[in-house]
Amino acid sequence: MALEPFNQSKALSLGVELELQLVNTHDYDLAPYAEDMLRLMAETPLPGSVVPEMTSSMIEISTDICHSAQDVIDQLSPIREALIRNADKLNIAVVGGGTHAFQQWHERRIYDKPRFRELSELYGYLSKQFTIFGQHVHIGCPSADAALLMLHRMSRYIPHFIALSASSPFVQGQDTQFDSARLNSVFAFPLSGRAPFTLSWKEFENYFERMTRTGVVRSMKDFYWDIRPKPEFGTIEIRVFDTPLTVERAAALAGYVQSLAAWFLQEDPFVPTEDDYLVYTYNRFQACRFGLDAVYVDPASGEHMPLRDHILMTMTQLEWHSEALGATQVLGELRTSVEANRNDARWLREKQGKERMLAEVVRQAALRFRGQA
Amino acid sequence: MISTLTTELMGFWSEWARPSAGLPTVLWSLLLAVAAATGHLVQRYMGLPKVVGYSIVGTIVGFAGFEGAIWPLQGIPLFLLELGVAIVLFEAGGRLPLRWFRYNPRVLLQSLLEASLTYFGVFWMLHWLGIPDPVANPIALMAIVASPAVLSRVVMDTRASGPVTERAMTLATLNTFYALALGYAQAGLIERAPQGLMEKLYPVGVVLGLSFVVGALMALALRSALRVMSPTSENTSILLLAIIAAGAALTAHIGGSAPLAALIGGILLKQLNPRPWAWPRQLGTAASLLTMLMFVLVSIVAAQADWSLPVASVVLAVIGTRFAAKIAGVAIANPGSGASWKQALWVGCAMSPLSSIALLIASAFVTASPLLGAMITQVALPAILLMEVLGAVLATIAIHGAGESSRPWTPEAFSGHEETLR
Repeated sequence: MALEPFNQSKALSLGVELELQLVNTHDYDLAPYAEDMLRLMAETPLPGSVVPEMTSSMIEISTDICHSAQDVIDQLSPIREALIRNADKLNIAVVGGGTHAFQQWHERRIYDKPRFRELSELYGYLSKQFTIFGQHVHIGCPSADAALLMLHRMSRYIPHFIALSASSPFVQGQDTQFDSARLNSVFAFPLSGRAPFTLSWKEFENYFERMTRTGVVRSMKDFYWDIRPKPEFGTIEIRVFDTPLTVERAAALAGYVQSLAAWFLQEDPFVPTEDDYLVYTYNRFQACRFGLDAVYVDPASGEHMPLRDHILMTMTQLEWHSEALGATQVLGELRTSVEANRNDARWLREKQGKERMLAEVVRQAALRFRGQA
Repeated sequence: MISTLTTELMGFWSEWARPSAGLPTVLWSLLLAVAAATGHLVQRYMGLPKVVGYSIVGTIVGFAGFEGAIWPLQGIPLFLLELGVAIVLFEAGGRLPLRWFRYNPRVLLQSLLEASLTYFGVFWMLHWLGIPDPVANPIALMAIVASPAVLSRVVMDTRASGPVTERAMTLATLNTFYALALGYAQAGLIERAPQGLMEKLYPVGVVLGLSFVVGALMALALRSALRVMSPTSENTSILLLAIIAAGAALTAHIGGSAPLAALIGGILLKQLNPRPWAWPRQLGTAASLLTMLMFVLVSIVAAQADWSLPVASVVLAVIGTRFAAKIAGVAIANPGSGASWKQALWVGCAMSPLSSIALLIASAFVTASPLLGAMITQVALPAILLMEVLGAVLATIAIHGAGESSRPWTPEAFSGHEETLR
């Protein structure tokens, strides 16, 4: 099967997808309400779309094409309001976060859809363990080759994205000591990790063809890479973010990605090389494990520095671009949180430290999603 | 030589033996042991809820003339039944989401409609069959109840969760609330036949008021305990059980309804303490034993009914009308309630069980008027016995039909999905 052609999209256009948790309001465990939620959401005219996900306690919302972080929040806000209204009607709650703090994977049910059934057949228990919740950010690229260049440049900032969005410290009732434990579940999939290093679409097509010939891959959907090209949209899709606890932070992260992309396109700051990936897995691990306290190894210079400092440094570098994109305020909020050494993982841990009850942490996270905590 | 040895041994034995709890305790203990084993086997080899096994054992023992529980219930058996029901209803009250009715008043409408249709449907049908109104009225009231006790056990056995399960539990708790308030109040009036509306409403107010006071005291006591105790602690669970037991005894003594007080207590505690409800896992074996005892007791007592063909046809008519009325009530108010038609059908079906709460209401009527009580009992007891078993099966079918069970319908023994235990 040939790779579909890379479609046209406006450079720096944005699209955001958020996978969300549906929990009951009794013990705040995951609840299989996806079908009901989708039925009710279909009754309300909204931007973007709401679709099912692998297991029946998850849904995915997405925006239409946006042009700024403000656009993202303008679209996500009415979707959130509708989610809250319909969740109230069903007596459930909607929660952000990269994992549910205490759900048991074996209790999950695969959503009744041919593709999910097929994946479940193939991956066995991994498909139920895939009850994890991420944010995906699409960024429009001017051409196919530019998309690959953008993809490999963005790879240097994967630790930044992980640390800023980390919101999955708890898995199956335990503190994993990771800020983002979610990505460990993604790593179990055979086609996860990084995309092959090529800056030419022709070569990428060639790689895809060779992979499909092996029978292992049928479409781009079979790759669970941290960043992957999305030819049908004319974008690259960054998939390492945990779903934040609020849509405001989701929009701010999209603004950060867009500002980085603007910097790449307008200033051509560096050319990525295969050697960038020598430290990729280490940096990724550091960010997952320690969040903003991680150590970052600069792929070009090999210099070790606190990831927090590198994030703040990029934010300073991006100021001009973020201003042009109208993202100054959201980046300012992100900067403040980094300076205070705060991300959602820390918020969740602080709540657990105070409450000593993960179900109560989930309840408060649900209030936070509603803007009440 | 041998006879001397035997005499010596017997002499020693008679001096050594001490007075014990007695034969009834031995019989009840063995009965519970058999019920526990049967419940397990019924689930493992037939795929049916454990409750069915408990009820079958109780029924067989009841038909065999076991005298451990004499109808009408009094004393310790009555208290144990009230306590079992109170524990279940306290938990059900804590699950009753009052804020849901604010956001989705259609659910409340579904509840009111299914309860009213059930009452009037059954009453009218009994009236049409020539049953006198003072007998038809209590039976119609009992028919309103959809046992949260049976439903919660079925949910536990099937490991169910989802919109149908949640809505069926909510509607069952609400109709239990109506039936208890009206049933206990009307039992007090059975021999007086009040004329005016106020005369009819006054006793309802008294039952509700007294139960509310005890329920509020229970909720406040537990709220205070929760300020210093962890909800997941074993001691908190024991405290909870002890307070429910004290509340049940106190309410019965002052003329309220013990199950109603527990239900109100659960609702109030959830309002005072909105933190996630962590009781069920902690209540554990003690509560399970009490609820099992409750199911065995109900079927022993219900099996004591006088069975005949005319009674059987009345009972079947009551059950059929009740079943249709519950499904119709839920379905009529379904549009706009957030559930699909198919889900509405399964919710109506899941509300089939009839058990201990109906028996307690029947018991209140029999105590108030032995004469009318005997006529009520004639229809009520067989209906309760049948619907404890059949209702549990129907609820299981509904949960599987709605796709909300986490376990396959096939009996565990033949499913190939054996649970792996540590």
